[in-house]
Amino acid sequence: MIAQVVLSLLLIAVAIYAGNERRRSPVVAALSIIAAMAGFYFTWVPDHATRVASLVGVGRGVDLVLYIWVCINLIVLLNLHLKLRTQMELITILARATALADLRSRSMEKPESSRVLDPAAAAQGGGERLR
Amino acid sequence: MERNLSSQVWVVIAAYNEASVIHRVISDVACRGYSVIVVDDGSSDHTAAAAFAADRVICHPINLGQGAALQTGMDYALEQGAKVIVTFDADGQHRAADIARLVRALEIAQADFALGSRFLGGPIDLPRSRLWLLKAATLFTQLSTGLRLSDTHNGLRAMTCRGAGAIRLRQNRMAHASEILSQIATSGLKYVEVPVNIEYNIYSLAKGQRLGDALMILLDLFARRLYR
Repeated sequence: MIAQVVLSLLLIAVAIYAGNERRRSPVVAALSIIAAMAGFYFTWVPDHATRVASLVGVGRGVDLVLYIWVCINLIVLLNLHLKLRTQMELITILARATALADLRSRSMEKPESSRVLDPAAAAQGGGERLR
Repeated sequence: MERNLSSQVWVVIAAYNEASVIHRVISDVACRGYSVIVVDDGSSDHTAAAAFAADRVICHPINLGQGAALQTGMDYALEQGAKVIVTFDADGQHRAADIARLVRALEIAQADFALGSRFLGGPIDLPRSRLWLLKAATLFTQLSTGLRLSDTHNGLRAMTCRGAGAIRLRQNRMAHASEILSQIATSGLKYVEVPVNIEYNIYSLAKGQRLGDALMILLDLFARRLYR
């Protein structure tokens, strides 16, 4: 009974987390919620878990619940990966804006006539030459 | 007419640790009258210094990937009023002479994209494993985008400012080549393939993609579909 309650609480937490993530990655959220609901159901109706387990060739119902839990972990891992990618996109936007702003500020600092072929200046942050 | 257009063609070269070859590549392009933007993608060598012959050198503070570097260069070129933007590899495998063919193809076909194809030209001297990898990538792109192309991972391409405006690369790394084609297909803009020559050498082959990279590209493309 204690294990069932603990597992249920964890699955509810997973479902809430997935619900919060649905806007950013709907596919991952849907998979997580389905897996959490299946886990929740089988936790409280173990007979059905055993029956389904034998149907799919897993053996015991508890093993099926365990496999579902592993699936949820993998999905959450995938979600973390996607979050990292989103972060990387933001970093990219920031780095691009910084690089372009840096170029613009150097263009404004130097009057047109002083733009020369200057490898040393280029080494300090990008060369600049007008034909 | 063509001379006028040359001055409005901006060639974007994304470079990462290409100090040993970048000067020669830039010189080849610049001597034909094109404006050259080099995007130094956080190189750890002196690529930015070696690129002093470029009209502009934009330095990413960190390494982001070729796709991100190209998008930065394209953004800047559009800001400068470029009429045509050409993407060109930094490792010296592309021929600057082919740029004129791409630009001419845009004019003649009234297209927004001219995509270089190494398979439309003469026979190419490429290791068999690399050849099969490219063929597989071409088939995958044909199936996923519906574009009838003979070479889908060729970095030499030209686009009008309208075409460039329709491209927004979010794949920072090598998957950007597939992403560009996918966005071309989505935009509905006209494209044309142009035969170009690729000069393979030990340096460029060492920098090329392998089977492991191809798998990462597939994973990147798959992952990109899972979130907004």
